[in-house]
Amino acid sequence: MKLLYRITSRISLALLVLFAVWGTVFYYIMVDEINDETDDALEDYSEYIITRALAGEKLPDRDSGTNNSYHIKEVPAEYAASNPGVQYIDEMVYIHAKKETEPARTLKTIFRDSNDRYFELNVSIPTFERKDLKTTILYWIIILYVTLLLAIIAVNAWVLRRSMRPLYVLLEWLDKLTLDKNIPPLDNETDTTEFRKLNEAIERSAQRNAEMYEQQSLFIGHASHELQTPVAVCQNRLEMLANDPGLTEKQLEEILKTRQTLEHIAKLNKTLLLLTKIENRQFPDGTDIDVNALLKKLSSDFAEAYGHLGIKFSMEEKAPLHIRMNEALASVLFGNLLKNAYTHNLHGGNVGVLVTSKSVTVSNTASEGALNPDYIFRRFYQGRKKDNSAGLGLSLVESVCRLYNMEAVYSFEGGLHHFEIRFPS
Amino acid sequence: MKILVIEDEPSLREIMQAFLEKERYVAETAATYGDAVQKIADYDYDCILLDIMLPDGNGLALLKELKNMRKADNVIIISAKDSIEDKVSGLELGADDYLAKPFHLAELNARIRSVVRRKSQDGEAIVSLGNVRLDTGKFAVYVQEEAIEVKRKEYDILYYFITRPGHLVDKAILAEAVWGDHIDQTDNFDFIYAQIKNLRKTLKEAGADIEIKAVYGFGYKMVVEQ
Repeated sequence: MKLLYRITSRISLALLVLFAVWGTVFYYIMVDEINDETDDALEDYSEYIITRALAGEKLPDRDSGTNNSYHIKEVPAEYAASNPGVQYIDEMVYIHAKKETEPARTLKTIFRDSNDRYFELNVSIPTFERKDLKTTILYWIIILYVTLLLAIIAVNAWVLRRSMRPLYVLLEWLDKLTLDKNIPPLDNETDTTEFRKLNEAIERSAQRNAEMYEQQSLFIGHASHELQTPVAVCQNRLEMLANDPGLTEKQLEEILKTRQTLEHIAKLNKTLLLLTKIENRQFPDGTDIDVNALLKKLSSDFAEAYGHLGIKFSMEEKAPLHIRMNEALASVLFGNLLKNAYTHNLHGGNVGVLVTSKSVTVSNTASEGALNPDYIFRRFYQGRKKDNSAGLGLSLVESVCRLYNMEAVYSFEGGLHHFEIRFPS
Repeated sequence: MKILVIEDEPSLREIMQAFLEKERYVAETAATYGDAVQKIADYDYDCILLDIMLPDGNGLALLKELKNMRKADNVIIISAKDSIEDKVSGLELGADDYLAKPFHLAELNARIRSVVRRKSQDGEAIVSLGNVRLDTGKFAVYVQEEAIEVKRKEYDILYYFITRPGHLVDKAILAEAVWGDHIDQTDNFDFIYAQIKNLRKTLKEAGADIEIKAVYGFGYKMVVEQ
């Protein structure tokens, strides 16, 4: 989930609850206030009538154009004593003006005139107006609630998007970053202190990583390079020694064994140099390679060399495949894939090659279960220790793929290892 | 034949000189760029083995120097770098071949012979040993002037041996040379044995006086029958 959506959804959720509580409280306060106002109005009205009644003035018309109504009746002193002087009740009242019964708020007041007679005054205000008011208030609160919520979410999203732009620029820059290429300048001007610090820290760290990577590559390159001459000296001395006719068979055997080990060192060194060279892009531009033909040629050589293993080879060509790449690297790529398929196989196993217009897949019978795809392309990683094998073959495959933006994908299916090379379209 | 070895590493220089003398060449050595220029100016060589990484100068500059002196000495570049740029610029500057370190002395010998042959025979691509002759232009094999039929891989093997007579050839190295770089770690060399068996039979039937001898299961050696 994007940070923007996460923050917005969290704020919305919090606001949803907060606004709901606020709206409810607000509504009840309003309603309470309205009731209060109604009661005040009733009180004023009743006071006005009582004053008039006591002064013997004319009482207002019953049909005064408002929906208010009142009536006065005399009550016995016992009734007055047993009932409270002032009492508010909600009841159904017949309204003359409308000629129907409506719910109303009534104020009962018991008062005494100068002759010690008790009267009870009932003043009523119908509540339908009040109900209308409440409904209106409720509606408006809801409308306000929704609008406010939407507005806040929108403003929030806009503000977030604007303020976090440097973050997205930084992420985009990081996406484009690869170790073996030069680091592009990070163009991400910002006034925000945190983002500025983040920019600096990440750029510094990327620079350091690239430097370390380069140093490491250089080190491997130099080390292998410096080893070439001493290895040559040893090899040549042994070669001279081996051609000495005065040697016994036993001595010659020892010399030849040493030479073979040295040969292995030389090979290892050569492969490391090749890896360094691929990574430093020291290969000239490519020519058009007929992949089908190359695979056929390589596989016939392998079939011959590994004939003693009784491995069955099959090749399926769905389409002719031509790619532009360095010829030597093409044979490094496919040669290592095929060699891998033959060497890590079983007696009487299978090797299959599938060529489509966009990919080459080399499959072989697995001598053991699935390999860990996180490690197989690493240098010196070996599923099972093999004599004479350095574990650099698949690293070479991966390096060549990276150089040409190809993708090397490993999968394990039906007891077969599949190595698929996908070419960029 | 006179050969100049230009190499700064004393141990390698010494062994190359010893080997070349054993192969009956006259071998001179130079350890620095300055030394080398001096020797080239003073003498003519049939072949110069040039390490291009010298402490006091780039070997490639020596090639230019040679051109300026209008000398036609054969030059084989020897480099620890094995880089395509060096190879290309070296060959463009007039070097005849390029050999990457580490190399086998037998290989060096084969390259020297090939370079010298190319120049002396004016491009005629014939190699011979005993009564066997290879026409490398036509991939044809003659025994006692009689053409014989060999398969492609057998021809490659024969060529490899004929250019390295008397040298022990490791099976793994032969496999790499004939079948390609990828066939170097197999633990069974029966496929080479089968080819060599055929080749031996063919040569014997044609009455060749050269023979591929097995050496203690490690490799083979081509010898001329006395």
